[in-house]
Amino acid sequence: MATVRLHHLHKSYDRGKTMAVKDVSLEIADGEFMALLGPSGCGKSSTMRMIAGLEELSGGEIWFNDTLMNRIPPKGRNVAMVFESYALYPTLSVYENLAFPLRSAGKPLDEIERRVREIVGILQCEDLLQLKPANLSSGQSQLVGLGRALMRQPNVFIMDEPISHLDTRLRSRMRSYIKRLHIELGYTMLYVTHDQEEAMALADRIAIMDVGQVVQIGTPGEVFHQPASRYVAGFVGEPPMNFLECQTEQNGGSPSLSYKGHPIPWGSSEHTRAAGQVPRDVVVGIRPFYVSLAGERSASHNVPAEVFVVEPMGDTTVVTVKAEDTRIQIVGEQKMRVNSGEVLWLGFDPAHLLLFDKDTGLRLG
Amino acid sequence: METPRITVGMVLRHLLMLFILLIFLFPIFWMVLTSFKPAEEVLTRPPTFIFQPTLDNYRYAFEDADFSLFIRNTIVIAGLSTLLVVVFGSLASYSFARYNPGDGHIMFFILTTRMMPGIAVVMPFFLIFRDLGKTPFGQALGLGLDQVGSLVVAYTVFNLPFAIWLMFSFFQDIPTELEHSARLDGYSRLQVFLRVVLPLAAPGIAVTAIFSLMFAWNEFLFGYILTRDAARTITVGVSGFQTQQGILWGPLAAAAVVCILPMLAVAMFLQRYMVRGLTFGAVRG
Repeated sequence: MATVRLHHLHKSYDRGKTMAVKDVSLEIADGEFMALLGPSGCGKSSTMRMIAGLEELSGGEIWFNDTLMNRIPPKGRNVAMVFESYALYPTLSVYENLAFPLRSAGKPLDEIERRVREIVGILQCEDLLQLKPANLSSGQSQLVGLGRALMRQPNVFIMDEPISHLDTRLRSRMRSYIKRLHIELGYTMLYVTHDQEEAMALADRIAIMDVGQVVQIGTPGEVFHQPASRYVAGFVGEPPMNFLECQTEQNGGSPSLSYKGHPIPWGSSEHTRAAGQVPRDVVVGIRPFYVSLAGERSASHNVPAEVFVVEPMGDTTVVTVKAEDTRIQIVGEQKMRVNSGEVLWLGFDPAHLLLFDKDTGLRLG
Repeated sequence: METPRITVGMVLRHLLMLFILLIFLFPIFWMVLTSFKPAEEVLTRPPTFIFQPTLDNYRYAFEDADFSLFIRNTIVIAGLSTLLVVVFGSLASYSFARYNPGDGHIMFFILTTRMMPGIAVVMPFFLIFRDLGKTPFGQALGLGLDQVGSLVVAYTVFNLPFAIWLMFSFFQDIPTELEHSARLDGYSRLQVFLRVVLPLAAPGIAVTAIFSLMFAWNEFLFGYILTRDAARTITVGVSGFQTQQGILWGPLAAAAVVCILPMLAVAMFLQRYMVRGLTFGAVRG
């Protein structure tokens, strides 16, 4: 196991024409579960492949503990990896697939045998040993992929979208399985995913990437409640955060906030403190959970909105409304009774309003 | 209720198949028959189907006409050129599939070399090998007129572009993750290629090998122009039975029978690979 440190990592393709990774610095503590989160093409896979040694660096340094890894080939890094497409050798049986990492390391047969039995015991898949990968279901395939990665005692355990190919039910089962595995084995883990839910559920800390850069590193709670930018705020959380283009106004000492002429109560001391530097045009972000609906206009419910669709989810109801051309989603109680076409009044919980700069997208205050 | 109808359809279908088979197999049947006929019965009218079989034709072809030398030459030439095509072709093809050097332009250039008809390049080849054969290098490698080496080179040059293009899709179909995984498990680049990629590309390589082998086995033009006696190949050898005294049908048929036997054996042996290989994508895990 190892602490992994990335120092100003760069990666460019086509002789510098495309920058896939720009100045990524990151430290994964020994035994930490770090998720690398971002949409496809954000550079997370390139970053991961550089850590594994599958791709050359264009710049920067990779350290495992106190060893510089830049020039060390994959086999010298002792990195174990689980792939999205399982990457099982189709001509080998499950047993041979599991044995492969130790066999290529030249370990004695009885040791390989012992370790395979051990891993198969952990994963509870003894009955698969003689099968070929073509005869496995997708869930079984990934179980074997996981098992193969567990065969060695790796410095770093990398998972590249390991459960994206699985169906929903299996995915949530495998997710808790992976988390439990981390608790039991305590490996340093890097989990690459585009699914914010997976990252939130699994990781100790999340590094969120956008166009080649890390835009925020933090615990799931931090990235959820204190997103560094509109991008992070919109990426994390389901249903996604609502954004409204608002105006601020300085009325003497107390600044006020309005959405297209409708005043929005805004009062926390944190906001007031920041108000001095707040520009006129801002983007207000609020999670669907903190928006409420009222039948009558009041001081707290000041923005008119027409109900667009109502989606009952069982224990909650998701209501989508239109307020002056902007769609807003509200997560309400299951017993909420509203109908499409109704005009209601929106209220925003002042404590949970987040302000973002309209141009840079960075969070204000 | 529907059983009789299917039977009628099946009978018709089998009759049709039989008919088509007859058309295609009859010349071969005639050839085999002729190869065992005594000389005076070869061209009798009506043709005889029952006769006293003889091995005279085979004796003539192999003892008087030196046909065993031609067969030996062809086996060496076709075998060596196929080996070279598979070795160089798979290396080149794999590189194109993984690294795409030249953004596809080099790949296309390689294809264009195959667009030239053989007749257009046979004279340049003749001149090249005539001169090369006089150099020490050419002599050491047997690259001269009427030498086996020159035909090996010529066939390799001719088959390589085709082989590279054919194998390209096979290599492309092999997921890169498999290679990544093997490298993390301690294999070097070369080991990954030899132990992971090649076994998975085996059907494609088999198809390429058989096409390349058949081309070299059947080639006539280069064999005719570039050789005289010592490096003569079977196709040219067979045509040698057209003499000024007339066509020696019996020995010709005997030689032809011997020529098709090895190809038949190879095709049957590699058939399972061919079917798998030509359907492509067979390696997707």
